[in-house]
Amino acid sequence: MDCGTCDSASPVMMVKPEEVDVNLTMTDKAIAMLEDAFGDDRSHALLVGVLSGGCSGYMYDLQIVESTEQSVQELEIGGFRVLVPSASSHLLDGIEIDYVDRLMGGGFKINNPNAESSCGCGESFS
Amino acid sequence: MSLYRFNSSVLLLSGDGILSFLDGLSTNLVNGSCTAPFTNGNAKIIDVCDVLLVGERVVLVGYADHKDQLVQHLMSRILGRNISITDISHLNDVFVGIEPESVPDGATTHQSNMGWMMVLAKSHNHQPSWSQQQWDEHRVMNNIPFHGNEITPNVHPFSCGLEHLVHPDKGCYIGQEILTRMRSRGKTGKVMVRKLNPVENPTTVGKTHSLCIERIQ
Repeated sequence: MDCGTCDSASPVMMVKPEEVDVNLTMTDKAIAMLEDAFGDDRSHALLVGVLSGGCSGYMYDLQIVESTEQSVQELEIGGFRVLVPSASSHLLDGIEIDYVDRLMGGGFKINNPNAESSCGCGESFS
Repeated sequence: MSLYRFNSSVLLLSGDGILSFLDGLSTNLVNGSCTAPFTNGNAKIIDVCDVLLVGERVVLVGYADHKDQLVQHLMSRILGRNISITDISHLNDVFVGIEPESVPDGATTHQSNMGWMMVLAKSHNHQPSWSQQQWDEHRVMNNIPFHGNEITPNVHPFSCGLEHLVHPDKGCYIGQEILTRMRSRGKTGKVMVRKLNPVENPTTVGKTHSLCIERIQ
């Protein structure tokens, strides 16, 4: 095989989606749950990201982090630092983070106006 | 030697976590060299690629006519990952068929769903020993689906003889809900079959038999 890395082949041009200024909201329930999770410690932030995969192509990824090496937009919502990776901003603009309190399928839920469809469990979207 | 050179695409992927990235998009478990169908949200085929490990990089061998859709499919899901894709199709020929006794120096070989596969630099100017007709006859007699014949964007993997490349319990991938529902309900719709000629609407015509995609349920 000729991998061609030294001569004629060049990487396929990456067409990066345009970064958008993310507008993100959280419901009162979601904020209350974050208050439980964070306590008085505000040194950490909520990272709201997107991973490839899942039944519909993209999966939400919520993490509590101190910092991240990714290029992110930093928002402040309800007294919490919220980080949104720049590479995923086009997928997350306009989302609402909610918390659903029920025994089955409960937890943080993301309502995304950009999603054309989502899988049954609600964890992935396209 | 019985080898057919097909109209292939060859993509070189490098970066971090490539196999897990591909695994999240393929119906088959991708944890090493394998054949990996990529499907859309409707479980229709985007491309069926052979995954070859080359050092720390991964080579995807697919069908040239599906390359643009595949690249778009992959690139839109890289997001912030450190993964790059290089198109090396113009540098390499891909042969499939029956494993020869000797292999040219510099060839990368692989056991594909289509049979034995060899990726070789075009500079070798290696010539195929099989015509398309001979390859088609071999495929018909061995029930091997092929790009553009049975494997098209209009079908899902169950319809074109690739049900063994739909992993039963690997977890989420694009199109999984539909394929899992079809399998669990025992309703996989049309399937690829080999029939004695003459055959109505064949996908590949052989001397005595042909392949076709028919609804059997």
